Amino acid sequence: MSLMTMIVKMSEGLGKTCAIFFLTLLFSLPLGMIVALLRMSKVKIVSAITRFIITVLRGTPLMLQLLAVTYGPYYLFGTNVARNKLIPVVIAFSINYAAYFAEIYRGGIESIPVGQYEAAEVLGYTKLQTFMRIILPQVIKRIMPSVTNEVVTLVKDTSMAFTVSYQEMFTIGKQIANSQTSFMPFLVAGAFYYIFNVIVDYLMGRIEKRLDYYS
Amino acid sequence: MKKILSIALVLMMVLGLSATAFAADSSPVADRTTFVMGIDPEYPPFSYLGDDGDYTGFDVEVCQAVCDLLGWKLEIFGVNWDEKLVQLDSMECDCVWSGMTILDTMKEAGYVISAPYYDNTQVLVVKEESGFKSSEDLAGKVVAVQLGTSGESLLNDDLADLAATFGNVITCDSFLKCFTELQGNAVDAVFVDLPVAASYAADHEGLLIIDEALGAEQYGIAFRAGDAELCEAVDAAVQELVENGTYAEIAAKEEYVDIVNNLIFLNGTGAEEEAAA
Repeated sequence: MSLMTMIVKMSEGLGKTCAIFFLTLLFSLPLGMIVALLRMSKVKIVSAITRFIITVLRGTPLMLQLLAVTYGPYYLFGTNVARNKLIPVVIAFSINYAAYFAEIYRGGIESIPVGQYEAAEVLGYTKLQTFMRIILPQVIKRIMPSVTNEVVTLVKDTSMAFTVSYQEMFTIGKQIANSQTSFMPFLVAGAFYYIFNVIVDYLMGRIEKRLDYYS
Repeated sequence: MKKILSIALVLMMVLGLSATAFAADSSPVADRTTFVMGIDPEYPPFSYLGDDGDYTGFDVEVCQAVCDLLGWKLEIFGVNWDEKLVQLDSMECDCVWSGMTILDTMKEAGYVISAPYYDNTQVLVVKEESGFKSSEDLAGKVVAVQLGTSGESLLNDDLADLAATFGNVITCDSFLKCFTELQGNAVDAVFVDLPVAASYAADHEGLLIIDEALGAEQYGIAFRAGDAELCEAVDAAVQELVENGTYAEIAAKEEYVDIVNNLIFLNGTGAEEEAAA
């Protein structure tokens, strides 16, 4: 098999890799905000439960969570295993990344001085207005570097979908490596991930620059 | 300068440590004290984690007997099956001996392969309730195969025509996942080695094995290129076990009832039988 055919075959799986990446971001970014707000809730029991869930999601390997979401329902309730693996994969990734994003958001929100809330109250802002117009814009600015970190990790983590037999780029690479007894597909996969991440890095850098409106 | 030197020293020490962490032994056969057997720990009845938590299986027991005979200490190393030859090359084990199908590509790549010891065929496992009776019924259906197994390479090469009639072939990284996909109705059939199918079907109800003698092949032991002497020593030891009856004794155990009829050293090969008839 020539290098060209290898690249063509693997790029067929690249679409599925991208699907995991974009769908995970689409769901986990907003979900993370909800989790962060629950985590900071003044109701003790709510914040305690959320905190527990976050420790479980951050304290167990993503690979196990993928297996649990994909095969767990079958073993527990005897339901069918999903034929389209994209659904369980995106669910598992979104929940896991939401936990990380939630902690990043929380760090950002808590870094805003209390004085700003007090000032907003004096100026007659409601709580929602204060959060949406004053706090959130500053939070987004501050957390961008940490979010970029997670997004870059997500690109590489998509390869983990092979554990539940989702035929994304890395799975196809492994199949070629086997049938050709060659290490080449792994180099190709590495190059693919690297290029993907260079693009992500560039875009995130652009966004960061855009947000840097005071300098 | 001093700093660079000390960093270099630390690096060398770390690398040195990791080098000694490799278990395999490259010393000549006569001086050898340990033998690292590379197995797929999820391949019953040839090699698997037994009820007591230790690795066991037909291959493991034979290897233990070989090591006893040659005075080696047996160490067992669980390989990542789809990377087994890389792990063999990188000295993580001295051989791959785990129901491994002998492929022409291995010989072409220079690996030393032992005398074949098992005749194998690939079968399709379906759910009884699905009503599938032959490979033709599976046209347009989804079939699962384990990554890195001979079943996978067969579907890519010799049985590509059959694979083309399937709707889709998906690869799982363990045979257990293949079967879970089948039980959970995510796939319609699993393409797998007969002994694995038999042992799984014995433990789980409602499965049907479709045996159409697809992809007849043989199992052997793989050694690194250049380890021909080691291969000969192991082959000779196995022959001695066959002659003194130990081999038959191991094969007679209840766990191995599914494979005993296909052991070449006890039954001759299928090809020989045909020639005799």
